[in-house]
Amino acid sequence: MKLALSISGVTKDFRIPGSKRWVRAVDNLTLSIRENEVYGLLGPNGSGKSTTIKMALGLMKPSVGECSLFGVASDTPSARLNVGFLPEAPYFQRFLTGRELLRYFAKLAGLSRPETAKRIDALLEKVGLEDAGDRRVGGYSKGMLQRIGLAQALVGDPKLLILDEPTAGVDPVGAAEIASIIRTLKSEGKTVLLCSHLLSQVESVCDRVAIMGRGKRLLEGSIDELTLGTDSSSLQLDGASPELRESVAALAAAEGARVATRRRSLEDLFLELAKGGEGGDD
Amino acid sequence: MTTDSERLKWSLGRATTIGLNTFREAVRMKLFLAMTALAVCALASSFLFREFNFGSSELKFIADFGFGGMTVFGSALAVIVTAQLFYGEIEHRTAYTLLAKPLYRSEFVLGKFFGAWATVLCFMAMLALCLVFALWWRETSIMAEFPEEFVNGRRIVRYGDILGFAALQSIRIGILCAVVILFSTYATSALFSMVLGMLVWIVGQLQHVAVEAWATVDSLILKGIYALASFALPNFHLFDVGERLALGEALPGSLYGKLILYGALYGSFYLAIACISFNRREF
Repeated sequence: MKLALSISGVTKDFRIPGSKRWVRAVDNLTLSIRENEVYGLLGPNGSGKSTTIKMALGLMKPSVGECSLFGVASDTPSARLNVGFLPEAPYFQRFLTGRELLRYFAKLAGLSRPETAKRIDALLEKVGLEDAGDRRVGGYSKGMLQRIGLAQALVGDPKLLILDEPTAGVDPVGAAEIASIIRTLKSEGKTVLLCSHLLSQVESVCDRVAIMGRGKRLLEGSIDELTLGTDSSSLQLDGASPELRESVAALAAAEGARVATRRRSLEDLFLELAKGGEGGDD
Repeated sequence: MTTDSERLKWSLGRATTIGLNTFREAVRMKLFLAMTALAVCALASSFLFREFNFGSSELKFIADFGFGGMTVFGSALAVIVTAQLFYGEIEHRTAYTLLAKPLYRSEFVLGKFFGAWATVLCFMAMLALCLVFALWWRETSIMAEFPEEFVNGRRIVRYGDILGFAALQSIRIGILCAVVILFSTYATSALFSMVLGMLVWIVGQLQHVAVEAWATVDSLILKGIYALASFALPNFHLFDVGERLALGEALPGSLYGKLILYGALYGSFYLAIACISFNRREF
């Protein structure tokens, strides 16, 4: 399958200002995101996620290794032709209205004028800002900024969406709407790279997940692979009587197994890994 | 490599989009309002001179005052506005989203340059028109009071030269904007760009001293330093034609041509380095 994003053996070192010391933010990282996949990139603060995204977008150059988008080296503008990006805590030109901001980015994406008008209306509706489109972005709430950020990422109809904390500052209803948008994007054939601390959302929308710590990839796999290990699966017994539950548990115990009351969540896994060691700089 | 990627060419359209947005930012961030207020104040202050009743020499005074205002305010604004409009994108992190688009960084640099320059040009145009109006208004009054000073009743102020002066100062300001853009590409604060920009403005004003020193000094090291300063820094003194105009001297057309070429060369030189520097910057 064709790769939307490929990160191959990437290391990024930063020099600490005013000293001769260096800090390693990303350490020999390799990731491959396939087309039409929703990929979650998780990790505690300072694990190197944002640095990884910046290198993927050509905003930073790796010290070692290579990044490419749809087979084109990330450090060339051509690589970003099919990419939309929503940065963490997005900042936009406060003097523009939501509609003007989208028009600005649509122009940069090379959209024609009639195409732009249609696209802006559709996007404002999609992110629930149709009533706020003519208000200045400077007056938007944090949640509205995330929404307009998502709209600007989508304005060029990119094949790959890179979303860095898209639900930060968004209320639960808004977060659910963003999750729904991500699912729709997947159904439209788009690829999504999602960085989020909202693990339940990641679990519900992502096909595969990588967990980073100290700049390294600690784990990678599908949600099922990560949360349903061969020795940690559980059975769900709907409508079972207490007697039946006990019988099943006893049968399992006789075979040296254990029936768990719930499946391990992504959050449990994340916390286990995070406790295992974190640090570094993002 | 994808077909789409092969299609991405350097685009003047994208640079223009960024330039227009930069200009719009200046207008909406009330920089324009401040500029207009300054221009109106300059106009109002020139009205005060009618109380002195200098006769025709008063017109030279007003012209000197206006030329000085255009040079000083224009240069100061070029430094401040350019640093604010360019570095502001980095400081406010709006550049992250922009540079993650299919966009050449040189398009961003040139767009910001033209947007900032256009902003200061509007201010210069306002000041020039205010000066023309003040001179015309005062000249009309003086003609009525002292008709003997005007041969055959003909006006003595050459208004076209005032606009010519404004055009030449606009070139000077374009070079200064390019210098500030260059500093902003690797600066860590807008203040840093402003301070260095001001420094180049002052040193550029005295650059001709370095050129003269280059010819007379014996030390090879000093000669080298002077030579480097002479070529790397623009000679803003060349644009100081206000005194000649105020004395009634007509500027030859070739001077305009030479200064336009001079400005284009230095502006392109600084912008080329700015593009290289910005290409290497990490976000």
